[in-house]
Amino acid sequence: MKKMRILKVVTALVLAFTLILAGCSSKDSTDTTTDTDTTQTDTTIDDDTDMDEDADEGGVEGTLPRDKTLYFAGLQWGAINGWNPLSDDMNNALLITQTAAGTRVPMFETLYMFNFLDGSMQPLLADGDFEWNADRTSVTVKLKDAAKWSDGTPITAEDVVYTFDTIVKIGNGQGNSLKPYIESVEAQDNKTVVVNAKLTDDGIAENTLMVEQYLSTTYVLQKAWIETVEERAGGDPVAMKQDPGEDVVYSGAYGPYFANDQRVVVVRNEDYWGQDESMWGSLPQPTYLAHTIYVDNAAGEVAFKAGEVDVCQQFIPNIQDLWLKDNLPISTYLEEEPYGITGQLPTAWYNLDVPALQNVAVRKAIALAVDYDAIISNAMTNQSPTFDAVPRSVMNPTEAEQSMYRQEDVADLQWAGNDIDGANALLDEAGIIDTDGDGIRELDGEKLSFNATCPNGWTDWMAAIEMVAAAGEKIGIEITSEFPEWSVYQTVVTAASQDQYDIFMMWTDGSAPTQPWARVRQLMSSEYNGIEGNWSGNWGHYANDRIDEIIQAIPKETDMNTLQDLYTEAVEIYLTEVPSFTLMYRPNNFHAVNESVWTGYPEDGDGKNIPPNVMVDGYSIAGLYELSLVQ
Amino acid sequence: MSGYVKYFRKKIIWFLITFFAAVLLNFILPRLMPGDPVAVITARSAQGMSEASAVKEMYDNYAEQFGVNKPMYVQFFTYFGNALTGDLGLSFSQYPREVSDIIGSAIWWTVGLQLPAIIVGWFIGNILGALAAYIRKGFDKVLLPVALFLSSIPAFGMAVILLVIFALKLEMAPTSGGYAFDMLPHFSWDFVRSIIRHYQLPFWSIVIFAIGGQAIGMRSMSIYELNADYVKYSRFLGIKDRKIVGYVFRNAMLPQITGLALSLGSMIGGALVAEIIFSYPGLGTTLLSAVTTSDYPLLSATTLIITIMVLVTTFTLDIVYGFVDPRVKAAQFDE
Repeated sequence: MKKMRILKVVTALVLAFTLILAGCSSKDSTDTTTDTDTTQTDTTIDDDTDMDEDADEGGVEGTLPRDKTLYFAGLQWGAINGWNPLSDDMNNALLITQTAAGTRVPMFETLYMFNFLDGSMQPLLADGDFEWNADRTSVTVKLKDAAKWSDGTPITAEDVVYTFDTIVKIGNGQGNSLKPYIESVEAQDNKTVVVNAKLTDDGIAENTLMVEQYLSTTYVLQKAWIETVEERAGGDPVAMKQDPGEDVVYSGAYGPYFANDQRVVVVRNEDYWGQDESMWGSLPQPTYLAHTIYVDNAAGEVAFKAGEVDVCQQFIPNIQDLWLKDNLPISTYLEEEPYGITGQLPTAWYNLDVPALQNVAVRKAIALAVDYDAIISNAMTNQSPTFDAVPRSVMNPTEAEQSMYRQEDVADLQWAGNDIDGANALLDEAGIIDTDGDGIRELDGEKLSFNATCPNGWTDWMAAIEMVAAAGEKIGIEITSEFPEWSVYQTVVTAASQDQYDIFMMWTDGSAPTQPWARVRQLMSSEYNGIEGNWSGNWGHYANDRIDEIIQAIPKETDMNTLQDLYTEAVEIYLTEVPSFTLMYRPNNFHAVNESVWTGYPEDGDGKNIPPNVMVDGYSIAGLYELSLVQ
Repeated sequence: MSGYVKYFRKKIIWFLITFFAAVLLNFILPRLMPGDPVAVITARSAQGMSEASAVKEMYDNYAEQFGVNKPMYVQFFTYFGNALTGDLGLSFSQYPREVSDIIGSAIWWTVGLQLPAIIVGWFIGNILGALAAYIRKGFDKVLLPVALFLSSIPAFGMAVILLVIFALKLEMAPTSGGYAFDMLPHFSWDFVRSIIRHYQLPFWSIVIFAIGGQAIGMRSMSIYELNADYVKYSRFLGIKDRKIVGYVFRNAMLPQITGLALSLGSMIGGALVAEIIFSYPGLGTTLLSAVTTSDYPLLSATTLIITIMVLVTTFTLDIVYGFVDPRVKAAQFDE
């Protein structure tokens, strides 16, 4: 009898277990064991807006109405630290990013928006095009009359001036990088700004490209708000940059709504100035922009497929399978390969501190032998044009950059890869042969043996590095792949000199108003040699006087023919000297969209000229005004 | 009574020595990892900046703020002094966020997930183990292999199996997060229901794993005790079975309680797998990201919490054992 009773207890326990597990499927289930977990995390950043507004708009309180919210993935990793654009450390990637390659404008606005499709600058806070003076030493920009802050006060030239003075004074990333090129920003009148370039001893502008970059990458902030922050921080630059800016005044269409460790949400400012006819003429379609903070790419991809994400900035291998095989309402800017517009050039760099790699024949032979088509089809799953389609240079595949050099002049130098015979012949000709019969060539009595590295876990890069190693084997050069952790890798690569990595991968900047000049500089400028913590470029420590001269000359040049001459010469030197070589093309931002809720995303041939740049970067924000609901 | 005082004093001294050594190791070990965390922060802010001097200036500013350019011993004493006042410093990877803020917002998820799961797993496992030992026959023949199977599947394996079956195939449960993607934390039944739905899979992945190990342990202890002389003697005296079972389980429980205390102490480390696989918020994921980004202050603080929890639970056990276990009492107090 006792055993029967015990069996009953066991049966009851098993039943309880099954019931609780069944709670997974039943929305109405309640589980007493879970009570402790209802303590949700604190909102790390307080929001100004009352969440009750949802109820007025037909949503359930505390829930973002699906048909009013545009969800993003792949931009924001980790919780945001605040809303202060004076700081470089807000980790608020959806809303605050000011780099040459991309500036987000939903909350804070720049004078102009860059469009990487055609390299144009579209006015945002500015009224019409900017004007250089005759000797190209200063630029005049008019501000739109309608432009207003979120507190309703007008945006004035004084705001532009004070912002620039402040970022230089407190030395944030923007300020530090503009300081060498911009002497001052002045208010000519209430709505007119003059940007004075720093001049050389000869009285010409140091770098007009960097001045133009300022116009499309630097936010304009409210003077009154900056003064509030200054007061709060007692004028201390570090404290100003650490201020979370919860009371920030902004000019964009969206303002803070909610943020914690799992979410960041902004809400549309219904009084946004941009609905004036002089700008967009309407409000952007989504009421909320939301970004769930996923642990990794895999989690983001699962959510994207499930329709919980509308715009996805993540590399998804074989993305075409999502619509061809899985029949999901997912699409990309281009319907066919390479599915997007590529702007970056992931590159393999030679460490020129290594004696054997100082030999041009060795460098060129490895670059000739690599099978780039295999990298593009395997590592990038064809989300990059091939080097037959876009021959290698220092330009990205956009028309804006390709038109800057004369391709026919360097056609003989542009290799498409997998040229084993060519590479072997080049080495033989240079007298680099295998003398001891072990299958590996020797140079000056030393076996040609290198390592090739990239950060661990960067799967597409790792696949590319494996192809470089495979190429070495075919031409009698021993190349072994190594994959250190990113935190270690970047310390080694950015050191002033290093003897750990022989061949290693780094990116180059994507589209920007300063391109392709900035990329020439990044790939070959000797100004970066000998600098500890070099994040800027030329990680292989290449030096060439003529290239340095070209880098100096381009930003001062305005004649298109001369510019083409200079760029063509730069490409010629790059392809002859091979200090590094491009392995594939890659988009500035991946841009895939799920059209289960919203439709009308920018796509090739729609005649709107809106770049596929996740709808928040530069002129791609125009896409938010074109959206409509599927139902 | 002086025996007790001596026993406690000895335990407290050892506790403090262990604590200091642990804090020292917590400080030093992360800093021995290769890689430069200041460079990682600079990299984050500096991408796309072409001015090398500007980047250098930025790097120096950060190095100064974190004090990483000072000698190691100075850094240690600053850290130790601050830690005593509850100031765990600024995170490197989430600068300028305070470490205490990051931990404060993550720890409740971990405790909320782990504490009930460990306790439920412990109870079910022990009951099943004790029953197997007592009933034997068919029940034991089924339970033992099942428990062995469950406890030998690695924790991440269990989590992945549950994820694939219940979330991806049967679509009975959400795949990730702590609550629905379209919700913001607020108090409503919908939100509580959402929390519960997201809670199920991570919770059961820990419970099922815990059941196996606990059941096996309890079963062997009980079998051992059931064959002890005092049981035979009690039976011989005609004492009721229920009473004897009470004696047996109380004795078999002692090592199991130690096990429970230790698993409660180390729950944060154990949270890692379930949290990562189900993208569940909590300290486990925080710990992992601190490791990958060489975030010393965050890493030291998280491991410090684990250390303190393990130390406190073992210390409490020592003290409690001093009172309840006659063998410990005899051994310690007679010295």
